[in-house]
Amino acid sequence: MVTVKLKPLGEILESLSGFERVFIVGCQLGSARCRNGGLREAYRVAGYLELKGFKIVGVKSPGGTCVLDRLDHSARSLLNEIREAADVVLSLACGAGTQLIAENLPIPVKTGVTTLFIGAEREGRYFEEYCIACGDCVISNTGGICPVARCPKSLVNGPCGGAIAGKCEVDPNLPCIWFKIAQRMEQIGELKKLRKSVPPKDYSLSVYPRKLVLEE
Amino acid sequence: MTFRDKVLKGKFVITAEVAPPRGTEWESVVEPLKPLKGKVDAFNVTDCQRSMVRMAPLPMAKLLKDSGYDPVLQLTCRDRNRIALQSELLGAYALGVENVCLMTGDFTTLGDQPDAKPVFDLDSVQLIELASRLNSGKLLNGKELKGKVDLFIGAVYNPFAGPEPLQVWKLEKKIKVGARFIQTQPIYDVKLAKEVSSLIYSLGAVPIIGLLPIKSLKMANFMKKLNPTSVPDSLVKGLETAEDPASYGWEFVLDVARACLEFSGGIHFMLVGKVRELADFIDYLKNHRDYSVKF
Repeated sequence: MVTVKLKPLGEILESLSGFERVFIVGCQLGSARCRNGGLREAYRVAGYLELKGFKIVGVKSPGGTCVLDRLDHSARSLLNEIREAADVVLSLACGAGTQLIAENLPIPVKTGVTTLFIGAEREGRYFEEYCIACGDCVISNTGGICPVARCPKSLVNGPCGGAIAGKCEVDPNLPCIWFKIAQRMEQIGELKKLRKSVPPKDYSLSVYPRKLVLEE
Repeated sequence: MTFRDKVLKGKFVITAEVAPPRGTEWESVVEPLKPLKGKVDAFNVTDCQRSMVRMAPLPMAKLLKDSGYDPVLQLTCRDRNRIALQSELLGAYALGVENVCLMTGDFTTLGDQPDAKPVFDLDSVQLIELASRLNSGKLLNGKELKGKVDLFIGAVYNPFAGPEPLQVWKLEKKIKVGARFIQTQPIYDVKLAKEVSSLIYSLGAVPIIGLLPIKSLKMANFMKKLNPTSVPDSLVKGLETAEDPASYGWEFVLDVARACLEFSGGIHFMLVGKVRELADFIDYLKNHRDYSVKF
């Protein structure tokens, strides 16, 4: 999922200064899952803004703010609802969702979150970056564990010389992912595959903005 | 005889590390090296080590060369993509800087400008392969080069890093794609230095054992923090009881150095403070009846 982090309320307040009627949009995908921008957080922010004198004209959190059909369905258009009632939108969706709202509305759209990363969740509260969307996935060769995303240097030919006692030189609280990869490859009987040199990565595949177009 | 010739002929080599200045006053870096002229075979010029800005290693290497020293240009993957690395290496060769030591490099956030964008377009294995490709007259994309390139390529190895066997395999990859000499992280244990030397020889390169004189107990503890198994207890105990810890630490390293003459291809002094003492030690080795034959 895409994880987000709610901005400090003071910062949100500042970005809305000068506006009166605020429509708050969350997202029930990543933002809700990591409890920083779902419906619950949207209501919490709404309560705070009301106390500060804003008129909250709506609080909604579609299941996928980054899907235009969900924002602008012919039967019930959230965008129309916003357009009629608000003079500013506060979005708690990820960067994609927030931009989609902004490019389809004539009024200002402010973000109440910062988009962090594509991550995995454990125990409902630990979120860790697992993928950097490099466009050239290598994990079939590394035991299903990504060294591109989970090694700060994105090393693909094995660990660096800073991997001491299982720890990453960049952050001693971070285990070196190559220890995990070695363990996993051993477990599945593929350790020897790591002996082969890996050529340079094709970074042209991650030049943004990227597109995916489905065949009709 | 140049550093390259000596390594290729199996002579024992002595290298040392030089950090370019944080600024432009390069003379103050080169001047103190005078006693080592003709004694140290080559000087590794570091590439903004610990991710702190210093003068670029290539101009510093050229300045050293013009001052009569044989430089080893260190180049990391931290700040340059493959385009910059290729052009840097071509420039190095054109300036007569033939020896290179190629490595991944420390991460940006460990330095004093942690907000910098890290590059790491290539890793050390790929960078060594790139340099070998230049030596074969071609760019990474296969295009022909104008003019000859004949870099003498080296790499690094840290015997204290893990996991096994991945570190050894990475070393093997480096040597397979063209590293001819391997400079190690500081080693204080003769037995380990011997094992590392035979490992590197067996993979087809020449080992140059890293030596870092320990000046104080504080420094030993700092090293231990970075690399817990690298500093043996005997060294720490000796520093604790020594009247003059700096000279104890120095002598300790010289003992390892003497031992290396028996089984290694060379030694690499990092952080040279005691220039005069090092010069005297090299004289002593070169005139010693047991060791002189190695040079």
